[in-house]
Amino acid sequence: MTPRLVSSFLRLFVVQASWNYDRMIGVGVGVAEEPLLRDIARTEGDAAYHAAVGRGAGFFNSHPYLAGLAVGATARAEYDHVPPEQIERLRAALCGPLGSLGDRLVWAGWLPLVSGLAVAAAVLGAGATAVVGFLVLYNAGHLALRWWALRAGWSHGMRVAAALHAPALQRAARLTAPAMAVAAGLALPAGGAALSSVEPEWARAVFIGAAVAGLALLTWMRTTLDGARLGLAATVLALALGVLLW
Amino acid sequence: MISAGDLTVLLVWGTVVGLDLVTGPQVMIARPLVAGTVAGWLVGDAATGLLLGVLFELFQYDVLPVGASRYPEYGPATVAAVAAAHGIAEPAGLALGALVGLATGVVGGASLGVVRRRNTAAVRAAVPRLEAGDPRALAALHAAGVARDTARAAAVTALGLCLGLVARATLGGVLATPAAALAAAAAGAAALAAAINGTLRLVGRGPDLRWMAAGVVVGTLLVWLR
Repeated sequence: MTPRLVSSFLRLFVVQASWNYDRMIGVGVGVAEEPLLRDIARTEGDAAYHAAVGRGAGFFNSHPYLAGLAVGATARAEYDHVPPEQIERLRAALCGPLGSLGDRLVWAGWLPLVSGLAVAAAVLGAGATAVVGFLVLYNAGHLALRWWALRAGWSHGMRVAAALHAPALQRAARLTAPAMAVAAGLALPAGGAALSSVEPEWARAVFIGAAVAGLALLTWMRTTLDGARLGLAATVLALALGVLLW
Repeated sequence: MISAGDLTVLLVWGTVVGLDLVTGPQVMIARPLVAGTVAGWLVGDAATGLLLGVLFELFQYDVLPVGASRYPEYGPATVAAVAAAHGIAEPAGLALGALVGLATGVVGGASLGVVRRRNTAAVRAAVPRLEAGDPRALAALHAAGVARDTARAAAVTALGLCLGLVARATLGGVLATPAAALAAAAAGAAALAAAINGTLRLVGRGPDLRWMAAGVVVGTLLVWLR
């Protein structure tokens, strides 16, 4: 574990800080890659170093946790004297797979899985301990994935596609979907019970009816209505109606 | 009434939470369950923090934060909701928290677009230095991005906290009536509907739907047994 790899790893935690419509997370990727490129200045001169830094900050987009794979792979490719146009092609080729794998594995898998378990546990008696458990468990997976990505990219270089086909990664992607579905399923009645438990008896019937109507509205108006706007409209309307009635 | 000291602490916490959403470190303190519980603990009202954390966590299930997609920002919103609901008996606290938090969440989501456009303009202005591989230009652009998002998160949290103060002052009379229970029921129902909608979208119509159904059955049993 070299200090420059650690420096790059730490910078990857803010890889999206300069997210923009032209280069997406490209500037952040360049910032994270820069420590790994410093030896190029010593061995091959400043011009080669600046050219590599410039390439590192070009357009790039992927899941933030997996961006390290591209950072490591392209930095390694610079040391391996791979022609610049091939490095650009590697970056472009990694965008799609790293984005879709990360979305499937993390945003649509690990995160809702751990969150669902935490909501269910919090409501069923664990309270704030469930929140601590959520942070510890989620980040154990998060940190492991980030570190694996950077190490895999740095060791594979241009052959980084092999790392994406690692059996453990494929197995994880396969297993998280059903586990997430179970955990999210657990959270729904638990969350509903927690929210309706503070209501008086008569309002619980309103709760159930409004949930069914809200789900129907969200399904029917899926392109124009989201949960926040539905919630805001429903709360304001209910408050106004309540003031009129009472 | 919430003290000025508590408001200051919540402003700092909301700003950190807002940064965690996109800028980093993305350790999920921006999740409403975490943001709300910690906010409740900070003001000495952990039960309200956890309840509002669950409410907005369910709303969050309707969001898939992919690429440049636009979505409400529930982290600072939950912090503002806890400040608004702090010390108010349920279900009125839930109604007030939902109202303040949802409004803040919508504004927070829109503010992300503003920062992205500012970042884009800054990157365009720095293209020659970026193409030349100037590491100081890279670092400066990135640091400015962090500063912009910090200012954004602080502004959204401050707006939410102000909204909470105004709502407490103006809706005080209404909160003592059954209208508050009706509003709380509507907010909770919308959260549950959003969560079911988001989960169904995530799970799809394949074999995972059966796993979700199994989870719902087990969850219902566990709630009933509790």
